[in-house]
Amino acid sequence: MSGRAAGYPPQRAAQCRVLKRSNVLHVQRIGLVGLGLTLSLGISAVSADVVAVVSSKSAITTLSKNQVMDIFFGRTTSFPDGSHAVPIDQTEGSAVRDEFYSRIAGMSPAQVKAFWSKIIFTGRGQPPKTVATSLEAKKLLVENPNTVGYIDQSLVDSSVRVVLAP
Amino acid sequence: MIMALIVLMVPWAAAGAESADPVSGTQLFSLGGFGTLGIVHSSEHLADFTSSVFQPGGAGYSENWSAAVDSLIGAQLTVNINPKLSAVVQIIAQQNPDNTYTPHVEWANVKYLLTPDFSIRAGRIVMPTFLVSDSINVGYTAPWVRPPPGVYQLLPIDNSDGVDFSYRLHIGALTDTLEGHYGQNNADLPYNRGSAAARNIWGFSDTAEYGPLTVHLAYQEMHLTIPSFNALFNAFRLFGPRGIAIADEYDLDNKPFVTEAIGASYEPGQYFVMAEWARANTNSIFAVGTAWYVSSGYRLGKFTPYLTYTEVKSDRNSDPGLALAALPPSRAGFAAGLNAGLNSTLEVNPDQSTVSVGSRWDFMKNVDLKLQMDHSRNGPGSSGGLADLQPGFRPGGVVNLLSATVDFVF
Repeated sequence: MSGRAAGYPPQRAAQCRVLKRSNVLHVQRIGLVGLGLTLSLGISAVSADVVAVVSSKSAITTLSKNQVMDIFFGRTTSFPDGSHAVPIDQTEGSAVRDEFYSRIAGMSPAQVKAFWSKIIFTGRGQPPKTVATSLEAKKLLVENPNTVGYIDQSLVDSSVRVVLAP
Repeated sequence: MIMALIVLMVPWAAAGAESADPVSGTQLFSLGGFGTLGIVHSSEHLADFTSSVFQPGGAGYSENWSAAVDSLIGAQLTVNINPKLSAVVQIIAQQNPDNTYTPHVEWANVKYLLTPDFSIRAGRIVMPTFLVSDSINVGYTAPWVRPPPGVYQLLPIDNSDGVDFSYRLHIGALTDTLEGHYGQNNADLPYNRGSAAARNIWGFSDTAEYGPLTVHLAYQEMHLTIPSFNALFNAFRLFGPRGIAIADEYDLDNKPFVTEAIGASYEPGQYFVMAEWARANTNSIFAVGTAWYVSSGYRLGKFTPYLTYTEVKSDRNSDPGLALAALPPSRAGFAAGLNAGLNSTLEVNPDQSTVSVGSRWDFMKNVDLKLQMDHSRNGPGSSGGLADLQPGFRPGGVVNLLSATVDFVF
């Protein structure tokens, strides 16, 4: 088992080590390893190149992962230069949304939902406005220079500026 | 009063709704809900495991498998009157101290934003004493079946009727939120023990967030009165200076109750590590409780297994009480009864270490399933926080719990 784990990338090897400790029947263990691999492959299968963008009319040129995270998680309502920042999110379940949160915060869709449930059910805030597609996000972003959103990299043109390629 | 205020504000809000920012996500009304369906089994059949001191019965003695301990359902209405003014009402139905399930108003408050980073609230408000106090009822937000009770039950009340402020500061990549509150709380107790009144509740908390790191500090004071204890301590006062000294030390008549807490969590997504330490000095029969836990979990696809170690210690689990030898036989029997009454409450003060292991499974959208095992060793002379102790119960033993919950949000 450890010999096989050594051949995998570090994360998958770690999964094998964790599973190795589980005191279950050998057959079940193989099943679990298979399930673990399927789940981690499932995550990488949705990978699309997502980039955080603002309107090309915006003064913002670049943002860090933490700055994008703070704006999308409602910790701040300002860009680093002090101007008003409004995040544009995409609807739950969309591949580009899942990829975005996975890249900027390492969070699964359930973790993002849990995060917002915590904010909503403590009366501390509401999640950002959502749109259904990257095209809609782009349209709104271009029209509103105080917004920041994320879109599929293939949609980037002169109307928007990439501020973070996570 | 608060409901009336919200109702009055609605027409005004509707008039202003059209001018809302086209790119802000806020809607005039937003309705949400959450809930937990759970069952728990305890290996101790002569006492009850409960999730709080307000619960009548629980798992162990009252029920072999209890669905009442963790189950609840809640709904919340948020009214965004304008970008500065909002109101929130949260209703929860769970087992009440009188064993009914009549819903109660958990929170109802009006919030006003003086600036995007400075808000004030008035009404019934959550008290952010511990790291996850404010979301304690929403199981879906937590990695575990329930927050480690050793720490979270040091201060069993979680809301206050009054005012608070929240001020957020940005220092580079660090977000620091300072909160302060003032108010009062009334809570009914189970087993016909009347109610508990907390007055002059005030406190502050500071939460610093830096990327995946959160550090939380809190300090709180209140004055606690539980009139149902008066009969016991008034009787002690009949026994001269020693009796009066006992009554003064332990009674629950406007006693300062001071809670201090510090906690931190690191949640980079793939795993989490959390730890908290807290102390509650009750200046009463509930003694001084000190507790800490450390918890960690690692996400494997849709499964997040976790391990938690918790310790809670009370500085008092017994008292010699009145000296019986010096009393005439006619009064010694009564005094012995008082000593027993005093010690039966001190025995319930928790002294316990617990290892918890479990897993969260995000098996479908907005729903999780959790399975958890707790192995607790009670300190000598302590029931470990178990309630409803039956004749034959022996303190200082081992208790195992098995819990399963389904949490959801909608």
